[in-house]
Amino acid sequence: MAKSSVASSAKSSATAAKRLKACKALLAQVHAITAREGIHPSSLHAISQKLVALAKRKELFPAADFPLPTAQGHNYPLLVEDGDGLGLYLNVALPGKEAAPHDHGIWCATAAVSGREKHEFYRRVDDGKTAGRASVIKVGEVTVTPGHGMVMADHDIHATTVVGDKPMIALSLYGYALVRFPSVAWYHPQFQSVRTVPSRRTPASVGA
Amino acid sequence: MAKTYQVTIRNSGQTIACTANQTILQAAIAAGIDYPYACATGNCATCISRLEDGKVSLLPHGDACLTKAQIATGLTLSCRARPRSDLTVNWLARSGG
Repeated sequence: MAKSSVASSAKSSATAAKRLKACKALLAQVHAITAREGIHPSSLHAISQKLVALAKRKELFPAADFPLPTAQGHNYPLLVEDGDGLGLYLNVALPGKEAAPHDHGIWCATAAVSGREKHEFYRRVDDGKTAGRASVIKVGEVTVTPGHGMVMADHDIHATTVVGDKPMIALSLYGYALVRFPSVAWYHPQFQSVRTVPSRRTPASVGA
Repeated sequence: MAKTYQVTIRNSGQTIACTANQTILQAAIAAGIDYPYACATGNCATCISRLEDGKVSLLPHGDACLTKAQIATGLTLSCRARPRSDLTVNWLARSGG
């Protein structure tokens, strides 16, 4: 192996070790917050601030370790706890990548490493009595940029769009790992509809 | 005005009009077809379909929903696919809605 390749590999390994240590420290801080305060707006805000602090450490998230997506969006697990533990991810998405209004049933926080992502918040206003039908109205908007974060409670509804001309690289922390989301409800104002993606939990893991 | 193409939905046996700036899913829903979908933004793959013939251009989507290998075998996401010719698609989900 060439010397430069060995040096590069060693540096990458050292960065990965530092990153894992930082991610573990974050999750420990989050558990300390939720154990002490529970899950409510102020504790979620505190969690968001911790995530923003980690996202500011750009040296932990080099492009070489997180390649651009082959399409327009890719999700890299950073640290995923067992059972109903937390899930921390790094998302890379290209300009124009979007997600319709959705409720993933569990709280989340997002902080930008680089790039910009617009989050639009919605509120469901129909009575929910007609299967597959729903009306949502936009109630707010924030653009997540480096140094700033966004946090949502368990059943908040948000839509996302990567804006600007640079990839969005962001840290996302969820109350459950993505594979253990209770379910995701997608709302479509243009169709006046709601569609739910069933839980991806395996039978063995439900209630674990 | 955007060009209009004829889109045949194999599962329902219907042929509908779809403009070049509409997705196949948008045109299908507007035509009252119970096309399977969930996120409608390229994040879940519920609407994954086989493009039996014709051409589409794809809006942004996630890597996990439609890979280059899948595209090479003729799969597409109807929520992200806009027609670039007359075409025929066949959704892969068991049923619509």
